[in-house]
Amino acid sequence: MTEIVHEISELLQQGKVPKVKELVQKALDEGVAPQDILNNGLLGGLDIIGGKFKRNEVFVPQVLIAARAMNAGVEILKPYMMAEGFEEKGTVILGTVKGDLHDIGKNIVKTMFEGKGLKVIDLGVDVSADRFFEAAEENQAKIVACSALLTTTMAELKTVVETFAGKGARDKYKIMIGGAPVNQDFCDLIGADCYTPDATTAAEAAVKFCL
Amino acid sequence: MEKNMKKWVEEQIACKTKKAVPVLSFPAITLMGITVKELITDSGKQAEAMRLVAQKVDTGAAVSLMDLSVEAEAFGSKIRVSDDEVPTVIGSVISTLEEAEALPIPKVGAGRTGLYIDAIKKATQSITDRPVFAGCIGPFSLSGRLMDVSEIMVNCYMEPEMVRVTLEKATRFIIDYIKGYKEAGANGIIMAEPLAGLLSPDLIEEFSSNYVRKISDAVKDDNFLFVYHNCGNNVIALLDSIKEIGADIYHFGNAVDMEKALKELPNEVLVMGNVDPAGCLKNGTVESIKQTTLALMDQCCRYDNFIISSGCDIPPMTSWENIEAFFEAVETYYLNTDS
Repeated sequence: MTEIVHEISELLQQGKVPKVKELVQKALDEGVAPQDILNNGLLGGLDIIGGKFKRNEVFVPQVLIAARAMNAGVEILKPYMMAEGFEEKGTVILGTVKGDLHDIGKNIVKTMFEGKGLKVIDLGVDVSADRFFEAAEENQAKIVACSALLTTTMAELKTVVETFAGKGARDKYKIMIGGAPVNQDFCDLIGADCYTPDATTAAEAAVKFCL
Repeated sequence: MEKNMKKWVEEQIACKTKKAVPVLSFPAITLMGITVKELITDSGKQAEAMRLVAQKVDTGAAVSLMDLSVEAEAFGSKIRVSDDEVPTVIGSVISTLEEAEALPIPKVGAGRTGLYIDAIKKATQSITDRPVFAGCIGPFSLSGRLMDVSEIMVNCYMEPEMVRVTLEKATRFIIDYIKGYKEAGANGIIMAEPLAGLLSPDLIEEFSSNYVRKISDAVKDDNFLFVYHNCGNNVIALLDSIKEIGADIYHFGNAVDMEKALKELPNEVLVMGNVDPAGCLKNGTVESIKQTTLALMDQCCRYDNFIISSGCDIPPMTSWENIEAFFEAVETYYLNTDS
């Protein structure tokens, strides 16, 4: 890894948005391959943050500012990546289910997914089962990841699974679920493909689904 | 009813058999045949809900609704109310430092805050056999609702002055609000600061504990307890800061290792927790609830300052069969340890 790419990774981990933007542009100007900047600088930095988060060495605010730094860097890289025909590992449709407005857990999951090189279509909060399905079809996604924080809205996770089954598309996508009241028993009960207790484990599971 | 609450804490610590103090109020809606919406908009119904719960189960204290939308609504936030779930704040009311500086501090009584104080006044008249605790939100959690919970996390680094301005306003309002509860006759306040449980040790000290300490210092006395509730994930890592806020009682969520917390906190403060209110009490079975409750008590009741509780507020639609299973387990534990 070149020195500048290493520096991008370090600055991203500290959430230094302007510095990351500046160095990404500088690296491009110096002829560093966009793929190298993305994989080793931006995604690499975010992946390190993900590992630290799992080990309780960093906390939610650090993860969120690192994610912002990554997004800022990616915006500069995008035109170069498109020119090179870059392909993500897979696309994930992400959202909090209908009736539920909580999003901080979902936002952390998004960051961890992106850190693993997955493309995330974030539908936000209060997302209907039909909307999850439409977005999965439109974006040729591999994974649909749904979150629920309330005991009343976790039933919507079952609706998502049933909606995909009802449209004959249950085997086409992996459905991942998460959120405070959700557990493996509930995952088994509703027939979802994967439950993970935290964001970093979710990202690791998602990558395996995309292999 | 005025009561020496410092003495009450000492009595609890000295007492071998301690009554459970779960955060139990919303499930009264199924006893009353009403919706959450009806409960949160009527002080008489809230007081009646607390009285019915006190009549039905043998708790160590009566607790009011843990409705963390009340204060944000008083500041102008929009909320979503449903028939069977605790209200949620929608969107944000501030997104810049200028907006934070311009944000007016509401008078106590704004929105539903007057109604909640009135409910406590009525509850203290009908519940006289145990302390009555009112409830409010903590300063960082309120500020997070005013500027969006994800945004405040980022702003601790990117816009710290905006966070500080908001926290100062939240703190001033919360102090006045708790004083309103105190005048209404509450024996203490349960202040919920869950969002701070996601911060780092440095950030919680700067953006939560400093302000919580101000609130605690301003409201607590011999007749009025300050109960700190945090059901965030990182509480153990944050205990050095949390234990310095000067609470009389610490109440923790189910993500917290209670025994570790008990080892860290002083012996003269009560520590309450932490049966999972959703996964266990709402969605569990009678058997699983009894097992979980007994296991926690086996682990923690050797600490004299531990009182069994739920980890957070018990969801509105939790069945009374499940709630009674929790109380049966508490009774069984003490029967077995007495014999």
